[in-house]
Amino acid sequence: MRDFCPRHEHLSRRSLIKGSLATAAGGTLMNWGGLFNSDVMAEEVKKRNKRCILIWLNGGCSQFESFDMKVGRPTGGIFRETSTNVPGTRICELMPKIAQRMDKLTVIRSMRTSQIDHPGGIYLMHTGWSRAANTQFPEIGAIIAKYCGDAHSDLPNFVKISSNGDAGSGFLGPQFQPFKLGRDGELPNFSTSPLSETLEARRHSLRDFVESKYAENHHADPVRMHREAYERARRLNNVRDTFKLDAEWENYREKYGNSKIGRRMMIAARLVEAGVAFVEVGQSGYDTHADNFEGHKSLIPPMEHAWAALIDDLEERGLFDDTLIVWMGEIGRTPNINNRSGRDHYVRSWTTALAGGGVKGGLVYGESDEDGRDVKDNKVTEGDFFATVYTALGIDPATENYSGVRPIPLAQFDHRVIKDILV
Amino acid sequence: MTQKQPSWHSVMSYARILKRVIMTLDVFAASEECPDVPTANQAERLPAQQSTKAENRSMKRCHPILMSVLLVACVAPDVASGQERLRDVIDRHVAAAWESNKVTPADPASEAEFLRRVYLDLLGIIPTYDETTAFLNDTAPDKREKLIARLFDHPRYGLHQSDVWDMVYFGRNPPGYGTRDRDGFKNWLKEQFAKNVPYNVWARDILRAEGNTVEQGAPMFFVQYKNAPEDATQAITQKFLGVQLQCARCHDHPFDKWSQLDFYGTAAFLARLRVVDVGNKGNLTAYPIGVKNLGDVMFTGPVQQDEVGKKGEPVKPKFLSGDSLAEPELPEDFKEDRNFKSGQMPPKPKFSRKDALADWITSENNPYFARAAANRIWAQFMGKGIVHPVDNLSPENPPSHPELLDALTQSLIDHKFDLKWFVGEILNSKAYQLSASGTGHAAKPRWYERARYRPLSAEELLESWVRASGYDQVLEASNQKPEERLKIRGITWDYLRRSFGQPSDGVGNFHGGLHEHLYLNNGQVRQLISDRPGSLHEALAKSEAPWEERVERLYLQVLSRKPMPDEVERFVAFLSSEDDPRGRLHDAIWTLMTCSEFRFNH
Repeated sequence: MRDFCPRHEHLSRRSLIKGSLATAAGGTLMNWGGLFNSDVMAEEVKKRNKRCILIWLNGGCSQFESFDMKVGRPTGGIFRETSTNVPGTRICELMPKIAQRMDKLTVIRSMRTSQIDHPGGIYLMHTGWSRAANTQFPEIGAIIAKYCGDAHSDLPNFVKISSNGDAGSGFLGPQFQPFKLGRDGELPNFSTSPLSETLEARRHSLRDFVESKYAENHHADPVRMHREAYERARRLNNVRDTFKLDAEWENYREKYGNSKIGRRMMIAARLVEAGVAFVEVGQSGYDTHADNFEGHKSLIPPMEHAWAALIDDLEERGLFDDTLIVWMGEIGRTPNINNRSGRDHYVRSWTTALAGGGVKGGLVYGESDEDGRDVKDNKVTEGDFFATVYTALGIDPATENYSGVRPIPLAQFDHRVIKDILV
Repeated sequence: MTQKQPSWHSVMSYARILKRVIMTLDVFAASEECPDVPTANQAERLPAQQSTKAENRSMKRCHPILMSVLLVACVAPDVASGQERLRDVIDRHVAAAWESNKVTPADPASEAEFLRRVYLDLLGIIPTYDETTAFLNDTAPDKREKLIARLFDHPRYGLHQSDVWDMVYFGRNPPGYGTRDRDGFKNWLKEQFAKNVPYNVWARDILRAEGNTVEQGAPMFFVQYKNAPEDATQAITQKFLGVQLQCARCHDHPFDKWSQLDFYGTAAFLARLRVVDVGNKGNLTAYPIGVKNLGDVMFTGPVQQDEVGKKGEPVKPKFLSGDSLAEPELPEDFKEDRNFKSGQMPPKPKFSRKDALADWITSENNPYFARAAANRIWAQFMGKGIVHPVDNLSPENPPSHPELLDALTQSLIDHKFDLKWFVGEILNSKAYQLSASGTGHAAKPRWYERARYRPLSAEELLESWVRASGYDQVLEASNQKPEERLKIRGITWDYLRRSFGQPSDGVGNFHGGLHEHLYLNNGQVRQLISDRPGSLHEALAKSEAPWEERVERLYLQVLSRKPMPDEVERFVAFLSSEDDPRGRLHDAIWTLMTCSEFRFNH
């Protein structure tokens, strides 16, 4: 077991371990998804140092008020288009900053998914699968933590900031469970040890004796998991400062826009820079069954401001090309505007966007029909979407993990990787 | 998947039709795959079995003698009746499977190991220091059997079993308004266990749902599925019969025998239920389940073939056995109000389809009911169902010990669903009383060759911590009583529930993560390790006995066993230091209260 050691030492030792242990993948357990080729795969991907930030628009952002305008059509709504820095591509006037960074984005205007309600949709767009009675599918964050994360890091590899989804690590096992920060990115309850370093080390020495002794003749997985999670919780103490970003926020408040979502995105950028493989930031309120236009007018500007800043910030730090930004909610919104000026749930044709690592910029993929009622061209299902995201990060979407004795691929069986949008 | 049958689909509300219509063929093509099912090709590759074999090889040479002793012992008939006791039947089948799979079992559990296991399994709490020492010092050869018999009469038996079964029926986050506060249900269930009401009787009461949710309790099960007969159908078939019908909700089951008509035939029994609000009783709202005389499940066919405006046809109730329900005809001009009056108990219907379903489900002739129960109860104590997962008795998911499951099922029926007898036989088997130590990584060994590891529930942890730290004595010494069993000063049940409420991933694999340890390392466990009068800390600090004896007391009270010599040595060295002795004592108690050995029932 690890002794208590200061952070600077740890970092250098970690890089040493990384260089010398070719097969050191975490969690090689049968029931927790350990499959030989799957772990080799994990090592391969990790060498590429890919990261992912998911911007989650909870409730379902309207494609008509963001990236798929139908100006002049009965379904078009009240906003105007704006031109972007990509000739011919026009998006909603609510996103002027993103419009100027359109050359960094790939927009998919032809999403068609299968779950139209929030719980089902949130599950679907976090795991890539519909709920099933006997299989606990892992979230995208757990998958990326497994394949892109550093198993030796003191930092958790799957962080959520005020977002949704409760599938967690599913059959991948507890080492890939999300670590949830508070609404402003603060550490969760009980993250701080009440003991001084010396006292903590004293207590740990005794506990370490007890655990090591028990492990001598108790080899069952849960015991090992329990021991390892204790170690991770303890190591988190070493990196507590990584999460202390109040001062950083003062410096970047302006850049990201003075908003909750801005703060969350800045934290995501800093955590990714510190080595966290996957960070999910959430913004709620998009379920605009009433007052859709007012709703989007208040939600989109701070989000797009922060998103633009995030892109700039990652570029300035040289991280943009290795960090895939995924922008999506669980559903789209109806073409028809209801009698409360709202739009309801719609999954027959809607929009998501990608930016950064592994995907081309300045591209619109797929098309909806003139009223946005149906996909006209290049339909993208949830299976296709997740397969493409994994491929962009260097992960083969057909890689199998085991749920009990069943091999389950990362993305649905019949997926199609959209090669056109990959670099 | 191709659909040969005509289109069917349930239509419960206009909104739902609309949603389904919006998502047409292509949308469902994506979701149609039942991802639970490996294809034949995939199923051929089963590394689980390979690795179990490897595991087994390593265990092989341990106890050839024990094995033969067991085999001989197991066939000894019960002298009085001349009939083989169930516990012996269990051991005979389990040992036979060891032999045919070349598995060597672990040693029998030590006295202390057995004691802690059986306390947690029956009472949901570790034994007290006094209970532990009394049992360990008892020299009677039949002390284990006596202990089991005694624990069945313990007031905590009903309480703990109702906690366990409440999770079966509700889980931590049940659907439905008002289902979070279900003391009525839990108290009722506690009584059923305490009085040893036969399982088929109380299961039938849950399904008949008479009275209200506060005073009678049982109706709470249906409150979860208000206006959702399809959801109720899925839950009831799964929980009471171990049958998975959910695939047949949208299309004929791809590999089981169930068709959509089976699904909607069952849903038709439940389509007339209403959750009625009859006002507050105490501080809870009481809900009875009303039954209408009219109302059908409408059915339009596979979801794939759904079309706008398609109304479908009413489906008649049909049992999963294939028999139709014979029900009296209503007069042609029969009319009734659309809704029940709130605030009043709904009147009894002329005929209750729900009661007919309840009677069919819980009948001893039902091919699934007793089998599902025998398997589920076996899994509760042995870790893994003979069919696993326990709620899927599909032919695609065969039992590991088919003859044993048959025997358990038949004896449960023969003994009229007497749970204390049934559980007692399991606990008295040698298979249950194996040690948890040994090689092999499985939490739930495939052939029951050693004891399983089960994480303690949030309730078990809290109550066991309180007992281990002596906090219950602290409260007693200062004439305080916790207001309720889960409301203990210094502990926030909400945090506990969040950190330990769902220790498994939903299919039974342990999933304790980072948050759990943040709670253990930095959270409220500290508060329980009080040094006030009555506490373990105070007793050890005040004692003038040699440290060796005090360490023994510490181990007996927290881990329900005596320490090994090297443990005594290490703890004595740690505790006898002059530097901050009180703090060190706190560390030692904390260590044992948070270690793996405490965290699991093994």
